[in-house]
Amino acid sequence: MANEEDHRNYQSHKTTCPSSKAVPSASASASASIPLQQDSMGIKGLTKLLADNAPKGMKEQKFEAYFGRKIAIDASMSIYQFLIVVGRSGTEMLTNEAGEVTSHLQGMFNRTIRLLEAGIKPVYVFDGKPPDLKKQELAKRYSKRADATEDLADAIEVGNKDDIEKFSKRTVKVTKQHNDDCKRLLRLMGVPVIEAPSEAEAQCAALCKLGKVYAVASEDMDSLTFGSPRFLRHLMDPSSRKIPVMEFEVAKILEELNLTMDQFIDLCILSGCDYCDNIRGIGGLTALKLIRQHGSIESILENINKERYQIPDDWPYKEARQLFKEPLVCTDEEQLDIKWTTPDEEGLLTFLVNENGFNSERVTKAVEKIKAAKNKSSQGRMESFFKPVTNPSVSIKRKETSEKPTKQAITKKSKFGGSKRK
Amino acid sequence: MLELRLVQGSLLKKVLESIKDLVNDANFDCSATGFSLQAMDSSHVALVALLLRAEGFEHYRCDRNISMGMNLNNMSKMLKCAGNDDIITIKADDGSDTVTFMFESPTQDKISDFEMKLMDIDSEHLGIPDAEYHAIVRMPSVEFARICKDLSSIGDTVVISVTKEGVKFSTRGDIGSANIVCRQNTTVDKPEEATVIEMNEPVSLTFALRYMNSFTKATPLSNTVTISLSSDLPVVVEYKIAEMGYVRFYLAPKIEEDEDDTKPQA
Repeated sequence: MANEEDHRNYQSHKTTCPSSKAVPSASASASASIPLQQDSMGIKGLTKLLADNAPKGMKEQKFEAYFGRKIAIDASMSIYQFLIVVGRSGTEMLTNEAGEVTSHLQGMFNRTIRLLEAGIKPVYVFDGKPPDLKKQELAKRYSKRADATEDLADAIEVGNKDDIEKFSKRTVKVTKQHNDDCKRLLRLMGVPVIEAPSEAEAQCAALCKLGKVYAVASEDMDSLTFGSPRFLRHLMDPSSRKIPVMEFEVAKILEELNLTMDQFIDLCILSGCDYCDNIRGIGGLTALKLIRQHGSIESILENINKERYQIPDDWPYKEARQLFKEPLVCTDEEQLDIKWTTPDEEGLLTFLVNENGFNSERVTKAVEKIKAAKNKSSQGRMESFFKPVTNPSVSIKRKETSEKPTKQAITKKSKFGGSKRK
Repeated sequence: MLELRLVQGSLLKKVLESIKDLVNDANFDCSATGFSLQAMDSSHVALVALLLRAEGFEHYRCDRNISMGMNLNNMSKMLKCAGNDDIITIKADDGSDTVTFMFESPTQDKISDFEMKLMDIDSEHLGIPDAEYHAIVRMPSVEFARICKDLSSIGDTVVISVTKEGVKFSTRGDIGSANIVCRQNTTVDKPEEATVIEMNEPVSLTFALRYMNSFTKATPLSNTVTISLSSDLPVVVEYKIAEMGYVRFYLAPKIEEDEDDTKPQA
């Protein structure tokens, strides 16, 4: 199995600060904090709500089970994680000789190789222009980052190490340069890249709906709201964390919640999404009750006690719904012609070793791995030949209550009678 | 209530040894007609189908269709405790979360009970349609095991091609290449030593040797092995279990990718 992806550094470790710490401790301490911000992204509390109310819509799967599957990945979110986690400690980052950060390249390179080695075919989707409604949320994040930058400066002055760690994490920002670097890297690796017209999550969901990919892998629960038929969490967690992949199936979730897709979108908006505020006092569970009772946000607004629940004055839920239902995505067959190709070894060496100070021997080895993985990915899957059917057998552990006692009595008799053979 | 008594207990031991490395956890399905299992390996590339028909058991009682989830490694640990000549009885009560394996020595002077915890396994059952295969090869199982072992020291994949000349197994690796051709041969002393090739259409498919080698762990179950090939289906490697059933291994072939795939994108 692949080694610990985030802890392997393909380059000599250079830091922006002269007082550089030992590398292993730096990356190890950082990897424990991957879930940062994840809970606040996408739909608030949706994971728990689904675990409690639609357990059959989600199942744990082994990482290996995605062998040969095409998976769409939101690249921007991944890059953000890499900047936080890979080779960063306090204000120190992994950089090349020119002092430019290379954590994202390191992370993207290692993780993609891990996916390829597992026979997974990843396609990375990059964010385009954010929808107007998200600007509010983005402004919030921006101001949080600005605050954190100030706090960080204070912390450095005081020399509080925990605070430096905490605030520097929050100052991390994904720039256009980071995105462009990763696109170039992926193309050199022979991994397809799609540039979404707007939200990457929406584009990922569209790819899945079109059957271009098997599932969408992300940590952002938005994918479900965008209607991605299959959605995977923890697919890209480092193998050392040993967290199974959680697979969500929208159709099953809807069936179990007994909601239509439109109602599910309303539920997500009520729970709290990136596009608009939620109503104070209404969390996921209340939202689910209300949707089941009234059927839509409009009807809820007509019926709920407005004294108790204050509806925000400017509440663009209709626009948010529109964004989830009909997001700006590319469905053009030609642009979505996804292909995995042989890596460009020379190009990778130039880019990673010459321009970004990666260790050339390690990059060469990694290229070999990509090539070997490419060969492996030609292996077919059982499901492409045989289709699932329902198994008539019932697990012995589940007690059948409907069975008539008389029937059992009859079969008991047969124990001493006819059923004995030979 | 379930009670299955198998006089030739070693069969069950051999069955487990043949599949436990390929599949970790699996549901054993029990019905009035027999004891069966269908499971895939973790990458969903190979599939095992096992059937032990009710007639093959000395005593077979299964009141209703049930499935029992078991960890095959743990089951194998328990079955290893049975002697080769022991009679094995599988027992489970309705609603119970355990299964009991009872081992009786042939002289009835030693009786052991091993109780194993069951588990809930959420697995998909695949429908395997009956198919007409392009080519069916029957050969001594030991011979097939030898070929797979030999080839895997040279390469990772095996190309199996059946033509009117015979069946050819070939591989290629860093150190060189290898080709083994087996011709039809029915002039043998014992019928199980024959190599019989039925071909409707020539066929050539590529498979991962790692899996083939794993399948050959079933060699002790049967003197012969049957390999069924079709160009658009997984290969079936079947070992018959003395009069009572079979272990079938299905393996998805390797698919050649398009040539234009090999050039890097702009």
